[in-house]
Amino acid sequence: MQQVVQLNLFNFSLIYLLLIIVLVVMKKSKIEQSKLLIVASFRMTVQLILAGLLLTYIFKNPHPAFTVAYIGIMILFSIRRVLSKNRGLNRKFKMAVSISLTVSGLFTLIFFVVVVIRMDIFNPQYMIPLGGMIIGNAMTGVTLGLKAFTENVESQKLKIDSLLNLGVSPKKILLPYANNALETALLPTINGMLGMGIVSLPGMMTGQILSGTLPTTAITYQISIMIAICTSVCLTVFCSLHFGYKTLYNKRNQIIL
Amino acid sequence: MILFQTQDLAFNNLIYYPDMEIPKKCVTFIAGESGSGKSTLLRLLNGTLTQSHGDIFYEGKNILDIHSIHLRREVLLIGQSVFLFDKTIRENFKMFYDYREEQVPDDEVQHHFLHLCRIAFDLDKSCTTMSGGERQRVYLAIYLSFQPPVILFDEPTAALDTENSHSVMRNIIEFSKEKGITLIVVSHDNSLAETFAEKTIFLKKGW
Repeated sequence: MQQVVQLNLFNFSLIYLLLIIVLVVMKKSKIEQSKLLIVASFRMTVQLILAGLLLTYIFKNPHPAFTVAYIGIMILFSIRRVLSKNRGLNRKFKMAVSISLTVSGLFTLIFFVVVVIRMDIFNPQYMIPLGGMIIGNAMTGVTLGLKAFTENVESQKLKIDSLLNLGVSPKKILLPYANNALETALLPTINGMLGMGIVSLPGMMTGQILSGTLPTTAITYQISIMIAICTSVCLTVFCSLHFGYKTLYNKRNQIIL
Repeated sequence: MILFQTQDLAFNNLIYYPDMEIPKKCVTFIAGESGSGKSTLLRLLNGTLTQSHGDIFYEGKNILDIHSIHLRREVLLIGQSVFLFDKTIRENFKMFYDYREEQVPDDEVQHHFLHLCRIAFDLDKSCTTMSGGERQRVYLAIYLSFQPPVILFDEPTAALDTENSHSVMRNIIEFSKEKGITLIVVSHDNSLAETFAEKTIFLKKGW
């Protein structure tokens, strides 16, 4: 196996030329998001350079505090992103989402690193990249799930009111919305697993193969991370919605939207 | 015999109600200008809203001491906006009864309630292709079929013409009298109240 070819700065910068194609297509298709694409590319570059420098420092000087701080910032950032995309939630619902994301993400990450890989819990080389994938995917899943849940509940107020008037409990009315939203949030991950290896060689596996890891080793990591992602998405969305929907009614079984 | 009694009732410090007594097994109409809190009063009576001040007694018991779901099943509110599932009449009966976790009545009983609300459709007729008035009558029929001791109607015949609204109301009242059901009705249609009310309570804005 060849080791990965180090890109020099000039060669690396050539990849940005491909963005011109995207800009031309967007212009032709009258998609007024050219500025967003440029800002997103710039932000991605700066953020990843900073992350690269920081991770290099942390890997050279490993300390539990660095790992904990990095994972903590990841979780806080992901909670902020989820809540900013779902501003209509009440305070207790937001709390349920924050705790669910933190507990489910950490549980899956620690299980993967400590039980499966048998690595130290504070090892930054494993905890940080795997934590990024697990927490990042949980963040996307819960954003999707909450959006589906709130949109359905908002659009079906008449049905909810009618059933409440009939003496149906809010739990019986709202639970199907939570279950449907969980399905919506899980489907992209499960569909991704279906096509894996045939439609696509996923990012983690590609990265490992490029850096010289045997494909047979890379697949074990890829399979593990996919199962871990699926679990963290499922747990985060399930807990967020199942604790969250109960904040939408009071002791008198009145809905508070 | 008094069924509901209210004392110093207010909602959100915006709507104030006079003290009221609503008799059992009678047809009581609630009248008043827009914004006087007629629909809100119905929701307070069946516990989907809670008053900010005062008390409501149902059969002598403070409604805050009655389990809210139990209260709503005894004091059924038929709201002014119609909700039906995009399915057939038969499936709609089934869906509503499933939500209540009760055995759906057989076809004969379903037909009886549809007939009461002047609907002559087959049970397999889809509710999606019906007019607003037809949907309102199917909706009324399904809710009536639960036969609660008290029914609160909020504009029960708003989507119907005068002839249909009078005839549906007459049928419902006959049925209620036969079963001993108390009816409390909010309606903007004065002719309904003039024809059918045994008691009318007038609400004023900012009582």
